[in-house]
Amino acid sequence: MTTTDATTAAATTESVPTSQTLAADTRRNSHPLLRVRDLSVRFEPKMSPALTAVDKVSFDLLEGEFVGLIGESGSGKSTLAMALLSLLERPGRISNGSIEFDGEDIASMSQEDLRHRRWRDIATVFQSSMNSLNPVMRVEAQFRDAIEEHSELRGDAVTERVRELFSMVMIDEKFMSAYPHELSGGMKQRINLALALCNRPRFVLLDEPTTGLDVVVQRSILEAVRRLQKEQGFAVLFISHDIGTVMELSDRIFVMYAGQLVEQQAATTLVKDPLHPYSKGLLGSYSNPRADTVRVTYIPGRPPDLTRPISGCRFAARCPEAIERCSSDEPQLLPLAGGRVACHVAHLQRGPSEDKPDGLPEQTTRFAGPEFVKTAEDSDRARRGEVFLEVDSVTKVFERRRGLRKQQTLAVDDVSFALRKGEVTALVGQSGSGKTTLARMITGVDKPSSGTIRFTGSEGTIAVEKLRTRQLRDYRKHVQMVFQDPYSSLNPALTLRYTLTRPLRNHRGLSAQEADAVAGELMETVALTPSNRFLDRYPHELSGGQRQRVVIARALAANPELIVADEPISSLDVSIRAEVLELLQELVTGHDIGVLYITHDLLSARLLADEILVLSQGRVVEQGNALEVIRNPQDAYTRTLLDAIPNPFEQATTTS
Amino acid sequence: MTAGIVQTGSEERPGDATDERGEGDAGYSQQRWWQLLWSNTKARVGIILLLAFILIATFAPLIAPYEGTRSDFDALLPVSGDHLLGTTSQGADIFSQLVYGSRVSLLVGLFGGLVSTAIALVIGMWSGYKEGTVIDDILSFITNVAIVVPVLPLMIVLIAYSEVRGIPLIVFVIGITSWAGHARAKRSQIITLRNRDFVTAAKFAGEGSGRIIFREIMPSMTSLVAAGFVGASTGAIGAEAGLSFLGLGDPNSISWGTMLYQADSQGAVGQGLWAWVLAPGLILALLITSLTFINFGVDLLSNPHLREDS
Ligand SMILES: Nc1ncnc2c1ncn2[C@@H]1O[C@H](COP(=O)(O)OP(=O)(O)O)[C@@H](O)[C@H]1O
Ligand code: SF4
Ligand SMILES: [Mg+2]
Repeated sequence: MTTTDATTAAATTESVPTSQTLAADTRRNSHPLLRVRDLSVRFEPKMSPALTAVDKVSFDLLEGEFVGLIGESGSGKSTLAMALLSLLERPGRISNGSIEFDGEDIASMSQEDLRHRRWRDIATVFQSSMNSLNPVMRVEAQFRDAIEEHSELRGDAVTERVRELFSMVMIDEKFMSAYPHELSGGMKQRINLALALCNRPRFVLLDEPTTGLDVVVQRSILEAVRRLQKEQGFAVLFISHDIGTVMELSDRIFVMYAGQLVEQQAATTLVKDPLHPYSKGLLGSYSNPRADTVRVTYIPGRPPDLTRPISGCRFAARCPEAIERCSSDEPQLLPLAGGRVACHVAHLQRGPSEDKPDGLPEQTTRFAGPEFVKTAEDSDRARRGEVFLEVDSVTKVFERRRGLRKQQTLAVDDVSFALRKGEVTALVGQSGSGKTTLARMITGVDKPSSGTIRFTGSEGTIAVEKLRTRQLRDYRKHVQMVFQDPYSSLNPALTLRYTLTRPLRNHRGLSAQEADAVAGELMETVALTPSNRFLDRYPHELSGGQRQRVVIARALAANPELIVADEPISSLDVSIRAEVLELLQELVTGHDIGVLYITHDLLSARLLADEILVLSQGRVVEQGNALEVIRNPQDAYTRTLLDAIPNPFEQATTTS
Repeated sequence: MTAGIVQTGSEERPGDATDERGEGDAGYSQQRWWQLLWSNTKARVGIILLLAFILIATFAPLIAPYEGTRSDFDALLPVSGDHLLGTTSQGADIFSQLVYGSRVSLLVGLFGGLVSTAIALVIGMWSGYKEGTVIDDILSFITNVAIVVPVLPLMIVLIAYSEVRGIPLIVFVIGITSWAGHARAKRSQIITLRNRDFVTAAKFAGEGSGRIIFREIMPSMTSLVAAGFVGASTGAIGAEAGLSFLGLGDPNSISWGTMLYQADSQGAVGQGLWAWVLAPGLILALLITSLTFINFGVDLLSNPHLREDS
């Protein structure tokens, strides 16, 4: 969907309250499809402390409305979704409140009753749906089961309906007789979507339906959702941590933090004038990569521990606008400016001036916290350091045996480029475009099928493709890696001290005592202070952002000349991504390290990189100065990638 | 589709890309494994039984009325207050033999299990970690040979040809003949773990293979290793009883196997001396059952899907 489409969509849907009065009217006149009041969900596991994952949540969802639910992971979005669907499993249960669907209370209904009621009116697709199609049944048969169970259609009529559903999600009819394993992840999610729609539901709940799929594929699926929703008029609750996309698609947005809704607002209003500091923080992680100066903010810290009692505002510890009252009084979700917001400061700022206490912060639409800025000059600065890594006509072919036949995949096809000292080169491309394969060859994990990789470091020139196990260990003094997923790249069974001292002892030959001291310094470098409080912890005691810092500290331990960072922020919440980017940036300027930054996200490439290489199907399709490539993409594929970047702000500017 | 909802999701709780692997998992294995074990009824029964056996073995001199090796009573005395289970045809007190016999079984279980597990770990882990290399080919070949060689005849031959008989010999023989199956299991387990990011990261940190296998990977397999050890102990206890029953045990000490051997060679069944035959057999079965129960619990640790809780 282009931005203009999204705008019209938002403008034509009746239920968008564009002003306070209209909002009030809509609410009074049409009775809500889903009415949730004071809903709380508690998890009471036997082995760990109980927590309230959803806390007194109230909202209405109108017929035909498209509502987005955003918030960092762990904020309770999925738990709320499961509660709405009556699919909570032990040890979770609804501990308070009501859920009315079309006037009937479904929270207290038994599973048996639910089955007999009109629950087929509600359908859902979530991330793990990808693997939920029955692997031994043809796709059509699975549709047939679902349709025959809930409707009068039989025989050819069903086939006709399936055909119709397939065309709705734009999948060729010939795949009706396919087995799930013959379909790609994107196709499976489309089919799940079609399956969800097969009985014309009135409410569809989508929980991260496209997470884990390719950006371009995500885009096309979500466009299909929005188009079908307009055509068929079902209501949608769309959960995603990809805030940009949610903002673009939704009529209204709910913002969730630590189990509570902190803001409810029309999408167009939220983009222009977010009220809650947390909403501002989430939105601050987006920016237009084409702009001269790109600014992204991040929210420091992490959400509160829900197993402990919290007094005052739950966001207070991370909030740059907090005032005294915030730490003692819990803010309520009260109407303000056409929406609702739970924040003392937002209400005071817009309230009568005589109520305003001293020291009330200025009204702002941006998150007043830490920020990462990249200007056009920064990008032009592109320092022409000397070349220290040359990749020359590198090709990698993977061979897989399938029975008697050998299957060949060309993962990287005749790629050449050079990396320079103290410079960041971004390698951009869809998943499967060969980025990781290239990274593995540069770091010596894999060998190229043909071509050469030359590294010129402090110890002369090394032919990387010829290294053997023992020499490889030495090579890694110079070349280190930051992994995509900090949850899997730190050993859960070892303390951070162990993790950090090992490379120091191996690569720098330090004694145990020296290594200990340097490990402390490394922790300080990545701003995990005081270091001795962190060193004896285990990875699971840290947040995602902190873990990624440790991973970066470990990469720095060897004093490398090149760091290969493979999607280092893609598994992190958007609210903390800029924090990690900023750290990487500091390394480049402060330590004169070259960075090969691998990503599928052009915004982060703009923020970090001096040069961009665009990779598609194993080939370099475009290469050049970062700002240049983003502003004047020459290749069609680069343009597709650029279009896939959600940009809620652009939409806001076109509307106004 | 049980609730009549058009629900196209799996049984799993949906989650973000990031939150599934969240805080909990690692915490489980570090702090709460014993709680988990204890929460399982079977495992709890197993642990209590095993503790009872260990107490009996430790305090055997206090519990048993006589020395286990003493055989100067009248032969074949009936059950009485002096001889709770009567005496054997050589004039030994069956109850005392039973009590002292637990020492041999537990010792063999412990050390046989340790030796076998250690060999299995070194060979299996190393070969799995080096999968596809010559090292793996060689180690896998040795493992496969060890698997196909019939174990019992091999044990018998080894013991028959050795000069000294005794518990250490039995432990040694059991250890070197029973590791292969576990080695193969460890090999396939490590193959699934060795491509984890943290293993690659350890290579980047300059770690050698030995350290990677035993410091980085093995801690993630603790429950699997523990299950292997309990299994190997169970096997060793059974093997000792079997060997002793065949008359290949330590002639100078009393074990349940040698009791059975004597009972059998004296024709106890024919004479209807049930206490003599049944007592050691039942008690052996009880010990093996307790270990099997413990292994149910250990399985829970490595396989969260089996937990009663979630
Ligand atoms: N089965 C469970 N047992 C205990 N706690 C859980 C369980 N599932 C989720 N939680 C907790 O509930 C809170 C909300 O989680 P979730 O609904 O998955 O958030 P989101 O979808 O916004 O990422 C988190 O603190 C999480 O750890
Ligand atoms: S109530 Fe206070 S702490 Fe909470 S979000 Fe508003 S300003 Fe920040
Ligand atoms: Mg979720």
